[in-house]
Formats: sequence, C-alpha cells, structure tokens
Amino acid sequence: MPLDIPAVRLTGIAPEIALCATALLLLVIDAVLGERRNRWYLPALASIGLGLSIYFATEAWGTTRLELSGMVAVDGFASFVKITLAVFGLLTVWLGRDFLVRERAEEGEFYGLVLFAVAGMMLMAGAADLIVVFLALETFSLALYVLVGFRRRSLLSQESSMKYFLLGSFSTAFFLLGIAFVYGAVGSTNLYGGEDGPGIVSSFMATGASDVGLLILAMGLLIVGLGFKVAAVPFHMWTPDAYQGAPSPVTGFMAAGSKIAGFAALLRLLDVTLYPLREDWRPLVIGVAVLTMVVGSVLAVVQEDVKRLLAYSSIAHAGFVFTGLIAANDRGVSGSLFYLATYGITVLGAFAVVAVLSGRDDEKVTLRDYRGLFYDRPLLAGALTLFLLSLAGVPVTSGFVAKLVVFGAAIQEGYWWLAVVGMVTSAIAAFFYLKVLVVMYMQEKETEDAERVRSGPLSTGVIGLAALATIVLGLYWGPLIDVAERATLFFAGG
Amino acid sequence: MSEWPFLDIVVFLPLAGTLLIGLIPRARVGALRIGALAVTVVTFLLSLGILMNFDTGTADFQLGTSVEWIPEWGISYITGVDGVSLWMVMLTTFLMPLSVLASWSVERRAKPYFIFLLTLETGLLGVFVSLDLFLFYVFWEASLVPMYLLIGIWGYRNRVYAAMKFFLFTLVGSLLMLVAILFLYFSFPGSPTFNYQELLGTPLSLGTQRLLFLGFFASFAVKVPLVPLHTWLPDAHTEAPTAGSVMLAAVLLKLGAYGLIRFAIPLFPDAARELVPLVMTLAIIGIVYGAAVAIVQRDMKRLIAYSSIAHLGFIVLGVFVGSIQGMSGGILQMLNHGLSTGALFMLFGALYERRHTRRIADYGGVARSAPVLAGVFLFVALSSLGLPGLNGFVGEFLVLLGTFFRYRWWVVPAAFGIILAAIYLLWAYKRVFHGPITNDANLRIPDLRPREMVMLAPILVLIAFIGVYPKPFLDRIEPSAQKVVDQLRDSSALPEAAVGDADAP
Amino acid sequence: MSLPAYLPVLFLVILSTLFAAGSMFVASKLSPAKWTAAKVEPYECGIEPQEGGVPGGERFPVKFYLLAMLFIIFDIETVFLYPWAVAYDELKVFGLIEMLVFVAILVAAYVYVWRKGALEWAE
Repeated sequence: MPLDIPAVRLTGIAPEIALCATALLLLVIDAVLGERRNRWYLPALASIGLGLSIYFATEAWGTTRLELSGMVAVDGFASFVKITLAVFGLLTVWLGRDFLVRERAEEGEFYGLVLFAVAGMMLMAGAADLIVVFLALETFSLALYVLVGFRRRSLLSQESSMKYFLLGSFSTAFFLLGIAFVYGAVGSTNLYGGEDGPGIVSSFMATGASDVGLLILAMGLLIVGLGFKVAAVPFHMWTPDAYQGAPSPVTGFMAAGSKIAGFAALLRLLDVTLYPLREDWRPLVIGVAVLTMVVGSVLAVVQEDVKRLLAYSSIAHAGFVFTGLIAANDRGVSGSLFYLATYGITVLGAFAVVAVLSGRDDEKVTLRDYRGLFYDRPLLAGALTLFLLSLAGVPVTSGFVAKLVVFGAAIQEGYWWLAVVGMVTSAIAAFFYLKVLVVMYMQEKETEDAERVRSGPLSTGVIGLAALATIVLGLYWGPLIDVAERATLFFAGG
Repeated sequence: MSEWPFLDIVVFLPLAGTLLIGLIPRARVGALRIGALAVTVVTFLLSLGILMNFDTGTADFQLGTSVEWIPEWGISYITGVDGVSLWMVMLTTFLMPLSVLASWSVERRAKPYFIFLLTLETGLLGVFVSLDLFLFYVFWEASLVPMYLLIGIWGYRNRVYAAMKFFLFTLVGSLLMLVAILFLYFSFPGSPTFNYQELLGTPLSLGTQRLLFLGFFASFAVKVPLVPLHTWLPDAHTEAPTAGSVMLAAVLLKLGAYGLIRFAIPLFPDAARELVPLVMTLAIIGIVYGAAVAIVQRDMKRLIAYSSIAHLGFIVLGVFVGSIQGMSGGILQMLNHGLSTGALFMLFGALYERRHTRRIADYGGVARSAPVLAGVFLFVALSSLGLPGLNGFVGEFLVLLGTFFRYRWWVVPAAFGIILAAIYLLWAYKRVFHGPITNDANLRIPDLRPREMVMLAPILVLIAFIGVYPKPFLDRIEPSAQKVVDQLRDSSALPEAAVGDADAP
Repeated sequence: MSLPAYLPVLFLVILSTLFAAGSMFVASKLSPAKWTAAKVEPYECGIEPQEGGVPGGERFPVKFYLLAMLFIIFDIETVFLYPWAVAYDELKVFGLIEMLVFVAILVAAYVYVWRKGALEWAE
C-alpha cells in the first residue's frame, strides 16, 4: 500500500514549533550548565522564543487557510490569540524570574513548562479538528498541573496541583467522550471540512439533519471539557483551590492563558462550526453563562484570601465572556477576543502585585496582609486599585470597554436581559473589589513587617506595563478592537 | 464662540493639578493645601471665562469642542454648556476652593486627600459638560471612585459602611443606565453614535421608551435621591468629611436632577410625560418625608442631609411640572441648594472642629461665645428655608408658581414642606445657638477665624445677590429651560424640531 | 430553541442511571457471597503475602519508580521506530527528517534526565 505523504507546510504551527524548540533548548542548556548563581540567560532565552513565536504569528496574519490536512486553521483569529498568548507568556516569564529568585526555586523547568503551556494554548487557537483541540488541551494542561505544584515544599501547592490534576483529567475524559459522540453522530471530527474530508456540520446535514439529539449530547460533553478550562460553573470547583495553591505568577498565567485558550476553542466550535445549530446550543450555554456570572460574583463576596477572591472573580469573568459568545455575531466574537486579551493583561498585573506582596514563601495573601497598604506602598496599592477597578468594569479602564462590547453584542442580538444579568452581577462583583480597596485604604496596618517586600525590576516592569495597558486601552481602544474585528473577519471565512 | 477652549481647560485643569500635588512630598501638608487651593482658584478664575463668553438668550450648546475619540464606535469627545449646565459648572468651580479651605484641618494623609478632591472636581465638571453619552457615562462613574475614597478614608466612625452603601447604590443605578444607553445606541437608525444631539431624534416605540426611561431614571433617582432610594444619603452625608459633605450636597446630588433634565426627559419625552404623575408623587413624598424626618433628627449632619432630600424633592417637582416657571425655578434651586446647604455643612464642619460632636443636644448657647458664627448660620438657614429676599425664596416661589399653573392642588403639600423646613431649621438653630448652656465647653467655643470667614463670605454675598436680583441667572437659564419644557409638554412632533434647534448655528 | 431535541439526552441519562443502579442491585442480590481467607488477602500478583506486605518486608527505594517511569517513557517512544523502519522505503527523505527530529527530541530529554541526576542510583 503506497503511503500518501501529506504536503507539509509548517507555517500554521510555526509559533508552536518555535516555542517547543526553545523550551527543549532551554532545558538542555539549564541541565548542561548546571547550578549557577545567576541564571539570567534562561529567562532571556525564553523571551527570545516567545518573541520568535510572535513574529511567526504575525507572519500568518491576513491569510485564511487550513493546513496539515485540514487539522490546523491559519487565520487572523488564531494569530490574534497566539500573539496575545505570547504576550501573556512574556509577562509570566519576567514575573516568574523575580519570583523564582526570591523563592530560590528551579528556574529552567519553570520557563520550559511555561513555554510548553503557551505552545499548547496556541495550538488550541488554531485547531481545526477536535482531535487537535484535545491534543492541545492535554499539552497545556499537563504543563499547568506541574506549574501549579511548582512550590514543591508547600503542602498547599501540592494539594492544589493534585486536585487540579484529578478534576482536569476527569474533564478531559468528558471532552474525549464528546469527541467520540460527535464522531458517532456525524462521522467526522473536523470543524470545517474541505478537500480532506467532510466537516461536522456538512456531514450532519448529509444525514438528513433529523437527529440532533446525539450531536447536542456531544456538544454538551465538549462544553463540559472546555468549560472546565475556562472555569465555568458548574465545572469551576477546582478554580479557587488551584488558584490559591499555585505560585502567584502561575496563578496569573492560568487565569489569563487557559481562559483565552479555552474560549478560543469554544468560539471556533460554537460560533463558527456549530453556528447553524445556534438555536440548539444557546439554551445550554445561556444556562452555564448565567450560573457562572451569578455563582462567581456571589461566592467571591465572602472570600478572605486575595487569590481565592481573584479566582472567583475569574469565574465571574468567564460568565461575562460567555455573553459575547452567546451573541455569536461579529461584535460578540471580536468583543470576546478583546475581553480575553485585556482581562488577561489586567489579571496578570493583579497577580504580579500579589506575587510581590506575598513575600517569601508566597504566604501573605489574605486581606489582613493588605491593611493600610496604600500608606505603606502607595504605588503598588495604586496599581492594584487600577487593576481591581478594571476587573470591576469602572470606566477609564480596559475592563469597562471589554464589558461594554460583550454586553453590547448581547443587546444587539436581542439578549438585553442577559446584559441586565451581567450588569447586576457586575454590581455584586464590585462589592468585593471594593472590599479590597477598603482594606488597602481605610484600615490601619497591624504590625510592622520584619522584612519589607521588594519589587524586583522585572516585576516592577510587568506591573507598570500592565497598568499602562489597562489605562491606555481604557481610553483609546480603537486600534485593538479594530484588530480584533479584523481577526474575526478572517476567522469567519476560514 | 471664543477661540480659547475655556470649558475643556476648566474640566481637566484639576486633574492636571493632581500631578502638581503628586510632586509635593507628603510630609509638607502646608504646601499641599496651598497647592490644592491654587489649582482650584485658578480653575474658578478660568471658569469665569465661560460665564463671560456665554451667549445669553439661546438654548444651544456653547463653548464646547467636538473631537472624534473612537470613530469605530461613533464615540466622540463632545462638550458644551447651555443654561442648565452653565450654573452647575460655575457652582462646582466656585465651591471647590471653598471646600479646600474647609479641609484646612485635614492633617492625616493630606496628599491623597487633595489628589482625590481634585480628581472629583474633574469628574463632576465632566458630567456637566459631556454631550456624548459614552463620555457622560465615563465621567459619571469616574466621579464615583474619588468620592468613595473621600468618605471611606477621611470620614467618621461608620465611614466604611457609608462609603460602600454610597458606591453600591449608585453603581446599580448606573449599570442599569448603561444597559439603556447601549440599547439606545443600537436602536439609533443612522450610523452608530453616542452623540447626544443626534440620538435625540431616535424613533422609539412608547414601550421601549418607557423601559429606557426607567433605566436612566433608576440611575438619576438614586443620585437625586428620590424617596424610596434615598437611604444611602443620610449615611454618606453624615459620615463624610466636611468637604466631602459639601461636595456631596452641593454638586453630587445635582447630578441626578441634571441627568433628568438633560437626558431622561429630552431623550424619552413620551415616556417622561406619561410618568409625570409618578415622579411628581415621589417628589412630593420626598418634600414632606424629608422635612418630617429632619425635624426629629438628633444628629446635626443627618438633619441637614434629610433637609437635602426635601429640597431635592422641590427641584424634581419643578422640573417635571412642565411649566417654564417650574423648570427655571428648579434649575435655579439646584444652584441655591448647592450654596446654602454647602454653607450649612461648612458652618457645621467648623463647629464640629471646635467641639467634636454631631449631637444637637451637646450644643446650646453657642451664640454667646461665637456670635458671628451664629449669625452666619441663621442667615444661611433663612436662605435655605426660603425667606423672601434671599435666594431660596426665588427658586421655591418659582417652583410653586409653576406647579400652581399646571396642577393647582399639588401646591398644598409642597407649601406644607416649606413650613416644615422653617420648623426644623429654626428649631435646630435655637437648640444649638441659644437656650441654656448645658456644657461648659460651649462657653469656650472660638468664633469664626479669618480663613473661615473668607470661605463663607463669597457664599453669603451670592445668597443675598440671587435673592435680590436673580435676573442675570434666570436670563441664562430660561432659553434652555424652555426647550426642555417644550419637550416634556408637547412631544409628539418634537424630536425633529429639537434636533433642528440644536443644529442651528 | 427546540426542546424536543433534548429528549434523547434525557432518555439516555435516565437509561444509563437505571442500568448502572439496576446492575449493581441485581448483582448484590444474585451473586453468592462467600468470603474465604484467600479472598480477603491483598492481591500481590500471585506471590504469597508475608509480614510487612511485600517480599522482603521493606519498601522499594523511590528511585526505583523514577527509573521505571523513565524506562517506560523511552521504551514506548522507541516503539515508534519500528513502523518507521518498516515503511522506510515509501517515506524516503521526509521520513528520515521526521525521525531525526523525533530522535533529537529524545536525545534532548535524555541529556536533561542525565544531567539532572535522575539516572544516578547511589547518592
């Protein structure tokens, strides 16, 4: 039997390849050079790898095609998400550098795992076949499981890593089952279909489009699997524990990265492939969205640990992004992209502040530790205030614009009541962001610290960049939203 | 039109001033005060430029700029003043230096205090001059945060609770308004825009209008506040530091009434007209309820706070009654209430600094040791309760007159409110400044200091001036007031006409 | 929104629940339960258990597991070499390059493992 060697064009996954190669190189260099006092070359190399992947991703901008036998889509949407992810990766690496030096932890593995995770997330954005989505999901999940448990000597970190791993595998199994059901229902797992074989929807139409039940069941399972990654209720149980136990830079990265990766796959699956069946999946997703917004906002109110609080806030934010996804129009998709990008930067900034303040062993993360912070460290407190206000959606920050565009999309599509639910939950959410402000501004510090926390140069840079982005995108977001809109343009045609 | 963009400079000057304050080391409290005073005084002087360049006798928006901001979404930076907003801008710039003077005793954390105060000024001014709904919303929310921090950090014992309540009440209202704004934005038939003057002509069914009106109304009614939504106000007023109370009472409450006049009525005239009875009922309830509750207060700041609810009821009554007298009176009353209640809070703030208690029962016979303070207080109280010859009388009389023309019998409860105002203010005056001295500390209360006199004198002059000669004020208010009245009364054919007016050169 | 479309889902949920619960119930009723000493002993792959659980009565050094895992990983990955060897004629240069990349990755992993000391048995 002669083998048919497929035409291999690697441009579609060039960013991922760049990252994986850099990560391997990094691990080898770290292993060969061994223990040195200052391993500055490792974050530098990681940054170069991420920079390369940005370059490759921009190269692909503006094209629309399927590659690798229809397995990977190369379009503006994928490029947008990949560039955003690379930026998240850069911020995480820089932040991680200061953190690892402070904690005297292994450095090489950290950067390597971050790069692998980013690569997996990127693949998620470009995946045009459910099998590739699964592959990507596993790649970045495995890296994240390890990263969450990266503080090896901390029981909390190990516990959360274990929980995340167990629940994560569980959800992945659901996802796999969903793929099997899709295949069973229509005989294809491809999101688009083309010369290499029919796609999910075209196969479905070919069967006479009568039995939508099995496909809906499959969709439900897929949503369970991806909903887990984006921390949607009722698949959110792991979020607070994992966020709390993970090292703070990793928490920020998880919040920013897995959210955009999970939503990238959801957007492509629901808003493009299953768009013709939107009336069938909408009730399901609306239920999830409302639950997510309500539960995330309400449960956050009683949290005393800043990382747990931000975890619940991240759940609520997943709900807000869902409103854009449900709208399923151009504004909804571009709005979701904009939302995820700006949310990621803001939340990374917030966790950067948390990482700096948590001090040695990453322990000072309760609200008590933030008392009177403004009078002690006005700039750090000011930056955190900005991030929290952005998360709350107060104007002049990027978070406000992001909320505006996703809710706007929902209203445009006639789901104004969903926007009202979003607004009401935003108001509830404002309460707990304000709670942090109360602690920082309106309470007095209890004891003087034996050791004054120091913000390393890289952390300071990350916080500064994130703050700048939060405020600039809150005042003048035209260019970014324009890019996001063009990303969806290519996307629809892909 | 002047070439100098006075308006925009005035709006952003305080914000720029925060940079100046930011450069001063935090230990140098004196320099911080002087800096804040200088910034606010310069802002006020520049705002006189707005007043001088204002063209009396037209209802159009003036002195503004229009620059595209986010053209993709039809968002622009559009500003301008008319007869309604002119006086609100003037009131804000006028009271702000006085508030800085009233904050002279703030020693603790003075630097962030003045920074937040100046940021607040920019936020408030921005709300009054924005003619783009998006811009308006941005300023509306942005003014919330500094006020929240002012109350929460420098307030009294229950400050955190009060600040939180203030923020959340307002936020819920504003978010509903945001949904309404977005809905309106998508309903606009032309190319998408947030431009207020273009949106005026949006054709909407009555049902939609009603919903959207309620969305806006939710936000403004909380801010005014109308009665069922007022509970944040006594707490916030009572717990805020003096300057915070002054700005809250004098300017922040006006945001609600201003929003009703500027946005809720012109954008949804049919719905507004239909809901007039509801709003008027709420206003009347506010007048009587606010006054009645004020009588029984034991805390002086709470008393003034409840008196604000009553006064704001008057303003809303005037605005919705649908006659030119009512509307002009309501707008003038917005200015008057800002002056007299602002002054009351300043006076009581001065008294509080001397005695550190808010309980009326702790005072008594203060007039003996501080006669000037007592005299000024009486003067302001008389203005507040509407003594003829002082400013309060003009506004309240016009509102009552306007109400009488349109709804004869509604005047009765409103007038009853005035009588109650006389009771609670004069009674409080008597209990604080006269009567037997129960506490020896009241004998040693120093009289007004020069700084405090400087701070109060301009207000007293204005109170008397408006009372005797309100014409320059009313002249500028009336054209704009007339326009809104027309929209409220005869709205079937009006949206197009209104747009035509606004576009006329 | 078409609710009837969700009916099969509902049926499936009900059926699977019934089936799972039913089989457990039936099994517990029908199966004869006779416990003998041999049945309750821990299962040790046919080796007779001794005091302390395992032969020798001691715990394996944890390094054993690490080494075993590394062995399995490399072992499994080498399995990919066989199909490549079989299909080498058809795959030609493309296959060679692919396999070189694959082996290079393995080598990187090997170097990493080696340098990190995972292969050292003695302390």
